[in-house]
Amino acid sequence: MLSAFKSIPTYMDYKGQKLAEQIFQGIILVSAVIGFIYGLFIQQFGWTVYIMLAGFTVSCFLTLPPWPMYRKNPLKWQPAVPEASGENRDKPQENQKKKKHK
Amino acid sequence: MCTNRHYNSVMAALTFGCFITTAFKDRSIPVDIHVSKVMIKNVDDFTGPRERSDLGFVTFDISANLQPIFDWNVKELFLYLTAEYSTKSNALNQVVLWDKIVLRGDNTKLNLRDVKSKYFFFDDGNGLRSNKNITLTLSWNVVPNAGILPLVMGSGHKSLAFPESYETAKSY
Repeated sequence: MLSAFKSIPTYMDYKGQKLAEQIFQGIILVSAVIGFIYGLFIQQFGWTVYIMLAGFTVSCFLTLPPWPMYRKNPLKWQPAVPEASGENRDKPQENQKKKKHK
Repeated sequence: MCTNRHYNSVMAALTFGCFITTAFKDRSIPVDIHVSKVMIKNVDDFTGPRERSDLGFVTFDISANLQPIFDWNVKELFLYLTAEYSTKSNALNQVVLWDKIVLRGDNTKLNLRDVKSKYFFFDDGNGLRSNKNITLTLSWNVVPNAGILPLVMGSGHKSLAFPESYETAKSY
């Protein structure tokens, strides 16, 4: 069961992130317009705040989790170069300097 | 999170919108003040100089409809009743006799009868006895959600005169 849990994707691709941002901003702006008009109509600013908070909650639900619609444009990686044995393999230079703080 | 920044700036714009829709509103309403009984005493005022000072007692009625003042930008009103008069020693005296807080949602029809003053009506001296012209006015401080807190005086006032001698009540 743990492997099923680990295979839940936790990322969005770049276009997905842009889409999420646009959806969030759009829902907040629409809530703001509705909230302002309704609050002005019934003369209670509290309702403007409630409508804004509702819009915030809805847009958080839609844009915070990495839904599949945000993974529709995955990056096209270059195909893997087959690893040649022993050639041009650089060992990472180990930094021998160690600063000792006393 | 840039989501919070966007929400915050939209919320700030809405609050400004709330302010601007009420910024130029006239917040004055007519007020009806009636006085039923006045009396003065001459007592030691422990907060002032050694001589005895005049202490006035006023029983009054107030009626007003506060509904037009409340809008979506008014959180509460701080009402206060002021007595204004002049004496030989001071040209202008203003004393707050009574106050009340009216919150948004409270009953806005003010219809108070036989109210005694909440605060001591001390004069700085003996200028209340035989004073022919004390003017009572009701004012209020408007506390908004966003914006300025104006002091507004209600239209309508009541003039009263104090009796000639101490410890004698005068009814109206």
